[in-house]
Amino acid sequence: MPGTIALKYAARSMTRHTRRTILSMVGTGVGCAMALVTLSWMGGATEMQVRAVAESGAGHLRMVHQDWPDTQEPTLRLVDWERALAAVQALPNMNKYTMRAHATGLLAFGNRTAPAQITGVTPERELTSNRILQRGALEGRYLEKDERGAVVVGRTLARRLDVQIDDALYATLSGKDDIHSAMLYIVGILDTGSEDLDLGICHITLKDIEDITGIPGVGEISILLDDEQYMKAAETRLAANLPPDNTVITWREVHPALAANVDSDTAFMRLMAGIVILVVALGIMSAQLTAVLERRAEFAMLSALGMKSRQIISMVMIEAVIIGLGGAMVALVVGGSCAYYLATRGMDLTSFMDDDLGFADVLFDPHLYGSFGAWLVSYALIIAMATTICATLYPAWKAAQVMPADALRTTG
Amino acid sequence: MEATTNGILVKAQAVTKVYHTDEVATHALRGVSTEITAGEFLAVVGPSGSGKTTLLNLIGALDAVTEGRLEVMGKDVATMSKRQRADMRLHSLGFVFQAYNLFPVLTAQENVEFVLELQGISERRSERAREALDQLGLLEFADRRPTQMSGGQQQRVAVARAIASRPRLVLADEPSANLDGENARILLDMMHDLNVREGITFIFSTHDPRVIAYARRVITLVDGRIDTDVVKKQDTDVNKE
Repeated sequence: MPGTIALKYAARSMTRHTRRTILSMVGTGVGCAMALVTLSWMGGATEMQVRAVAESGAGHLRMVHQDWPDTQEPTLRLVDWERALAAVQALPNMNKYTMRAHATGLLAFGNRTAPAQITGVTPERELTSNRILQRGALEGRYLEKDERGAVVVGRTLARRLDVQIDDALYATLSGKDDIHSAMLYIVGILDTGSEDLDLGICHITLKDIEDITGIPGVGEISILLDDEQYMKAAETRLAANLPPDNTVITWREVHPALAANVDSDTAFMRLMAGIVILVVALGIMSAQLTAVLERRAEFAMLSALGMKSRQIISMVMIEAVIIGLGGAMVALVVGGSCAYYLATRGMDLTSFMDDDLGFADVLFDPHLYGSFGAWLVSYALIIAMATTICATLYPAWKAAQVMPADALRTTG
Repeated sequence: MEATTNGILVKAQAVTKVYHTDEVATHALRGVSTEITAGEFLAVVGPSGSGKTTLLNLIGALDAVTEGRLEVMGKDVATMSKRQRADMRLHSLGFVFQAYNLFPVLTAQENVEFVLELQGISERRSERAREALDQLGLLEFADRRPTQMSGGQQQRVAVARAIASRPRLVLADEPSANLDGENARILLDMMHDLNVREGITFIFSTHDPRVIAYARRVITLVDGRIDTDVVKKQDTDVNKE
């Protein structure tokens, strides 16, 4: 541990070239600020994507029949779904849940037909938990609790079938062992703004789908948690309380393509942050190396006085810590301000989304908001300190390697 | 550091030092053999390039011999680790250089105190540093930085730093080269006084006649070899004139 004089020496050395010290701090700070903004963007984008996926019906977690992940067979139903529901209701940090059942079928109106995946829903739960319903423009109305013979379809599907509110659709659904048919009256047409998404919307009540298909029960329970961070704990807890033959899957398994997209975005942003930090580190290394070479005689004198290599390295590292602390302050001010702007004002990505906010049954936000919080302080400190310390290791080692006889040679 | 037998601090046997730069080999020392005992006030003289500084650097464990054997305070320097050499410099040797080599960001007192801190001394450290400065007549400059002092004052601070840790041997490389006559005289008087009163051994490399006048023994190097090794009969004021 360096003594008080060594600390004074290191601290005062920072004042020899005040401009260089300030520039080093600012350079470190700006680089770290860029990394912070990148991380803020990444955090916000990831959170936004996960929330979009979860709120578009997938949930953070989904309880399904154990064969569903492999077969994706829509007629599969949960075993002892009431017990499964009780386990969901007992889950800590559970925000909302909704139950659904699915069936594939054919919708017909006049001489027009369209294939559809029909979803049986609990309307009162679906309305509060599904952003597609909350954000879409609904012509007519949504389903009511236990309503029979009513259907809500997406705008694209309605257009394909050329139907309007109050028209009667002839639905043919594949049931347990047979084909079943029913007349469904259109009570609502939903326009999400995404043609792809609207094509897949066909909601009837859970009671109706049970009656029409002849398959009782619930196919899935989708669970929205207070935050994605609780996902692992909730998954573990649910798995322990599951009725047999059921399983819990995450949104990642429901939408593997989107999960891969989130992962690649995260990796790319981390790479960007890493490149920025690397460039900053090389700049710091260059400045510190210059400072060390300028002070060769001093390091030689320290060595001549009997200072050990480890102590010389420590002294140079103290200077790095001071630069790192200054850089962290700059990073907090610059990066924090940008992250705050990003978190409060966001960025409008509408022009990049080509008027289509839907992708793979998920309705995305047209605005991206960055992540902002206390994490910025710790990240600024960690990034700035780690960068300056790592970048100073080589110059510090060089300082310790100065040969006193060479550096102090005058005459002789 | 261990005590030496017969009071011999330095024992050089056929010491050779060769510097290699690119493909050129420069023989700085060629088979130097000598012994230096405790309490000496010795000047190593000779023209530029004769090997004075090289000899001091080898004795100060700042450099390694190419051939031969060099014992400092009973230890073969060649067999010492880097850490052991640093320990010897810290606890038993003091250095004074022509260019003073004070730390510009520290005050005179801090420059002196630094060595004591490196030695792990915490008790009465400030007092000891101030005592050392006082011995060199610099107490009133204790809070000044090197840039706020004259060359002579800076060199006296360098001496204070060298003696603060009570070393057995002080190696002074051209200590008076940058000083005017009056400052050189003051400095040499003080170092001579420390030698006489405290028994600190001084080895100077110099071609300054003022230093040679103070020395009780003068080794002359020519082309890396000892040309003459003269021990003066008496330490009289006549020598200093």
